[in-house]
Amino acid sequence: MSSKQTGLVLPDTQALVMRDEDSANPVAIEFDHVTKSYKLFKNDRARFMSAFSKNVPYKEVRANDNLSFTIRRGEAVAFLGTNGAGKSTALKIITGVSHPTSGRVCVHGRVSALLELSAGFDGQLSGRENIAFRGQLWGLSAEEIAQLEPRIIDFAELGDYIDQPMRTYSSGMKARLGFAFASSIKPDILVVDEALSVGDRRFAKKCLARVHEIMSDSHVTVLFVTHSSSSAKEFCKRGIVLDRGRNIYDADIKDAIAYYEGIV
Amino acid sequence: MKTLKLILGENWLWRRQIANLALMDIKKTCRGAVLGWVWLFVKPITYIAVFWFALELGLRAGGNTEYPYIVWLSAGLIPWFFMQEMINTGSNVYKRYPFLVNRIAFPLSAISTFFTLSQFIIFLMLVVLLVVLCYVVGAPLTVYALQLIPVFVLMLVFWNLFSIMCSPLSAISKDFYNLLKALSTPLFWLSGIIFDVSNLSSGALHLVLAFNPVTFFAEAVRASVCENYWLWERPDVLLPFLAVLAVTFVLAVRCYGKLRKDVADVL
Repeated sequence: MSSKQTGLVLPDTQALVMRDEDSANPVAIEFDHVTKSYKLFKNDRARFMSAFSKNVPYKEVRANDNLSFTIRRGEAVAFLGTNGAGKSTALKIITGVSHPTSGRVCVHGRVSALLELSAGFDGQLSGRENIAFRGQLWGLSAEEIAQLEPRIIDFAELGDYIDQPMRTYSSGMKARLGFAFASSIKPDILVVDEALSVGDRRFAKKCLARVHEIMSDSHVTVLFVTHSSSSAKEFCKRGIVLDRGRNIYDADIKDAIAYYEGIV
Repeated sequence: MKTLKLILGENWLWRRQIANLALMDIKKTCRGAVLGWVWLFVKPITYIAVFWFALELGLRAGGNTEYPYIVWLSAGLIPWFFMQEMINTGSNVYKRYPFLVNRIAFPLSAISTFFTLSQFIIFLMLVVLLVVLCYVVGAPLTVYALQLIPVFVLMLVFWNLFSIMCSPLSAISKDFYNLLKALSTPLFWLSGIIFDVSNLSSGALHLVLAFNPVTFFAEAVRASVCENYWLWERPDVLLPFLAVLAVTFVLAVRCYGKLRKDVADVL
């Protein structure tokens, strides 16, 4: 039993994730040779068997391959890359949803993510209840939630729908509420993933204004993931170009965009 | 060891959220119906009434005991409703809350905990009804009812471990979950929920059922509210269950440690 136990712990010693709420640390996020590999099994049975035996064959796909970068506090960084470059995987590791296979990740400060905004809500609960629910998970007290609630509802422009179950919402309404919540809770690190295409043009404008407002606070670190170089240019001073999981170019935003457009 | 520390740490750190989420889960279950929480009781009460009608009035079960048959029947069915929910939904709890797995950084073991807790709260409300029933039919509780407290703690711990053990497996393999679901109804008929296990003539069957946690919890609640004996006086009932608990504990920690990082990738 004891020898198997050490086998169990091994992956943890290879991959190290450090997470704290130290928002005074000059470094916000540090990736040190981070690799995230997905195991592709032949079928579901093989995946199931792999839980009990190490001898099940699989193909390995590296979504992040030896990825290293450091983001300092207050920086606004754009991740550029084609589909499958590993942007979303890196963001998932930063938000803590996904775990690296090897390497070291340090995240200092609380992360709020605008990832796939319309997801992450419970369809049975009303918009108002979902705000309370998410607020709970974020660690807010009941008073803090009560304080934020009108601001969130106002921004999302849901009107009477706020007390309806969320399964009746349109995708635009869900996304608006998602954006309103994630941008209202004062995170230390804000992750924006293609989120600014929310709703119609007028609402998208409002979102842009909100992100600008958040970024004017020099303590907030913003990570921005996009295919569109124009919005990256608008927000960010630095760009990191990813390709097949690797960090292939890391420089000033103008140069990064030029490089990115060169390879596409 | 490390995984155990992790599970305990996660559950302690998120205890406030766990309590709130348990209440939220009940709310979610009741949502959408005008009568809301009344439905939580309608199904169990109907079941009890139907089984009582069929078994006592129809098949003339029960009889020569000093407590009414309906108390004995309810004391088995009420824990069964909780266990059924744990087998059907608790064993695949990440499916119920996918967004807690792959949208928000939330400890997976805490999802099992708050779901178990929410079902347990519903169970406790039914236990209150059971106590009322005991007094109404003239079979008041005795000192043996104190035994319910440790039994409930065991129930909470065991089924929480069960959920922590099975949920990652169910997330990874639909076959495993289908197997559990397929077993749920047979378990009801085989586990002595509606018949007395001690009436079985075969010793081998006794031995098999002694290792069935469903049988144990039905017997334990009955021992406390109507059959009136202490579980430690019946090592043939208690010890096999403790063995099952120990095995479940080891497997739960092992499964969780091995698979928790994969769950977000496959869900």
